[in-house]
Amino acid sequence: MHWWFPGDGNAYSTLGGKIDDLFYLILVIVSVTFVGTSAALGYALWRGAAIKSDEKVWFSHGSHSLEVIWTIVPSAVLLFIALYQLDVWAEYRMKGFAKEKDGSPKVITVVAEVTARQFEWRIRYPANGKPLKPTPQPDDIYSVNELHVPTGGLVTITLRTDDVQHAFFVPMLRVKQDAVPGKMIPVWFDATMPGNYEMLCAELCGWGHYKMKAMLVAQSADDFEAWKDKASADQFDDGYRKPAE
Amino acid sequence: MLRENLISMPRCSRTGFSVLVTFGLAVMNLGCGNGPQAVFTYRPTTDDLISEANKAVTKTLTEDFGTPEKLVAWERFPINYGGVKGTVASTDGPAGSVTVSLEGDSAKISKNASLLWISGSQANGKSAETSVKGFNAETKTLQLASGAGAPSAGDRFVVGFGEDMQLGRVVYMKNCMHCHGVTGDGNGPTGKFLNPRPRDYRNGKFKFTSTQSQEKATRDDLHRIVQYGIPGTYMPSFLLLGERETTAVVEYIRWLAVRGEFEKRFVEELTNDYSQTAIKDSTDKAEKSYLEKKRNKEEAEKPLNLSKAIKAAGTAFKKYVDDKELDGAIEETANLLAAAWTQAETPEALVVPTSQRVEDTPESRERGRLLYMSNTTKCYTCHGPTGRGDGAATEDFWDKPGTNVKYPNRGLHDEWGNPLKPRNLTSGQYRGGRRPLDLFRRIRAGIKGTPMPAFGDTVLKEPQVWDIVNYVMSLPYQQKQPTAVKHPSETVANNEEKPAN
Ligand SMILES: [Cu+2]
Repeated sequence: MHWWFPGDGNAYSTLGGKIDDLFYLILVIVSVTFVGTSAALGYALWRGAAIKSDEKVWFSHGSHSLEVIWTIVPSAVLLFIALYQLDVWAEYRMKGFAKEKDGSPKVITVVAEVTARQFEWRIRYPANGKPLKPTPQPDDIYSVNELHVPTGGLVTITLRTDDVQHAFFVPMLRVKQDAVPGKMIPVWFDATMPGNYEMLCAELCGWGHYKMKAMLVAQSADDFEAWKDKASADQFDDGYRKPAE
Repeated sequence: MLRENLISMPRCSRTGFSVLVTFGLAVMNLGCGNGPQAVFTYRPTTDDLISEANKAVTKTLTEDFGTPEKLVAWERFPINYGGVKGTVASTDGPAGSVTVSLEGDSAKISKNASLLWISGSQANGKSAETSVKGFNAETKTLQLASGAGAPSAGDRFVVGFGEDMQLGRVVYMKNCMHCHGVTGDGNGPTGKFLNPRPRDYRNGKFKFTSTQSQEKATRDDLHRIVQYGIPGTYMPSFLLLGERETTAVVEYIRWLAVRGEFEKRFVEELTNDYSQTAIKDSTDKAEKSYLEKKRNKEEAEKPLNLSKAIKAAGTAFKKYVDDKELDGAIEETANLLAAAWTQAETPEALVVPTSQRVEDTPESRERGRLLYMSNTTKCYTCHGPTGRGDGAATEDFWDKPGTNVKYPNRGLHDEWGNPLKPRNLTSGQYRGGRRPLDLFRRIRAGIKGTPMPAFGDTVLKEPQVWDIVNYVMSLPYQQKQPTAVKHPSETVANNEEKPAN
């Protein structure tokens, strides 16, 4: 059914399935409209050709009731789509800011700062057990073109760009967000299954735009911590090895 | 004769490698319309040679290295061109097939792969280049294409020669050529818009390596740079290129570096005697002294004019060739480069600390700071007393190396003649890598082709190097505190407090 979607066709995020449903809903509405209007147009042409030239012509132009109908029907459809998708939109863009049920502010742990630049993704993580600070810290961990995130919960990244506009896009998770110069944009998503997902730039950002392909590595929380420990050890390697006795 | 001696596999030297042609052409002609044909360009010093010498140089380069569409693999150099070598074990099997012993991975042998005879009766005959019909890994039976002749036991061959080189070329043309240029001269179509400029490989030098100051870069160094890029420059990370592609493109870049440096050194041998500039200089000088003498009424012989001097140099060059001196120069240059690139891969070439990093304490940082500000290291003269890369040296006019002509702009320059800023150590960006090991290597072995010197192990003892590493690594966090970049939410409040200008 989803064979024509990215990857194996399945969305690997909780919200992804809902986004796919919305896509199908809109596709159905658009298809019905397209087929319906085409049929009506065809019918009008066929009927018009059959009218004898000495019959009196009926002009629909200026018909008040027709104008009302084709204003109200599409508006109703658009309004329906607007209301229907509201929940998904809110979940994707706003609920991360929302308060918890008891009124206390929701705690957001940012996993990493993702900086797009011509033509690569540079990523900064806080050390294990520490929060991400807006400025680099001595024990931060760095990676490039490989974003590691834990599965099993909402993940937040801070998206920024060093130069021009880019867009963070993980097709298999159905996540897409523009990176705008001068802005730090929080992006929420989750990965339901551990695995490697393609991560791309979805905004033509220069001649090397095609080089901006990277990988999102979703792993269990334990694996993620272990990876960070290993990356930190590699990053602070002093190259000294005890000589074999 | 001498040509033959130049090559470790005589048969495979020059003409033999026309097998390499096939693939690249088709790939490079894809894309939007037909772009300009890919060609290797020559150095200005090569173009400056008198026509006889110029012809000899371009002929050598074309014969020994080929063109982008027809690469020639010179086996003399330590470059993995790709392919599986083997020896015929017996010819007792059915006609057209032989049992063999291979020196590489048999899985790499594909159907219709090319086969090249290196030794034996086939090697010099018409059927030296043939192809493989099939290979049975269990019985080690190699089926040869019809018309492959009759090899005998003990004959050596190579299957799929140059496959890695071809792959490397395709990867290079897709991803690197844009900036680094077809020749590897850093003059690709986008190259001139970048600052810093893309590396020109033709000096055989790479800046960020793990080796001693006089050594070449290792395969691992180049591999690392292709994978992770160079932060703070326009060299991006190619992490997802794939292991095979990365390895192949690294070999191709090493080959371009060898080709470029071969041209450079070879031409340097000839420049003094056979370049138009040098000949013009000497005739001008001779003319001047002749006029001088004449004015003083001394006896003097009228010197040759320029065109006659060039003609004379041409005759001299013919003798140079006849005396085998040209072949000697080729031989010597190739020897030197082969030895240098082989040496880089040995463990002795690496810079490896023999002691652990000194514990990163305030005392160690303070010792590091004092060394940084001392006249032993003179770090501060370029990197500035606060590490911002604004030392006094950036205000001076510097001589072009080997001359007493000054650069037109203030500040430091690298070996390639590009203006170069000393690194701002407070930015937290480390082009050669941010591991303490990387910083240790930068101080120990310097940055090749730049004014960053190699301190070696005499000026600074190892613990002192670690003290400086600790101090330098603390700089981005120490100095930034008062003027730290604020989070957007914080800057709003901050702006309101600012008095209006
Ligand atoms: Cu981009």
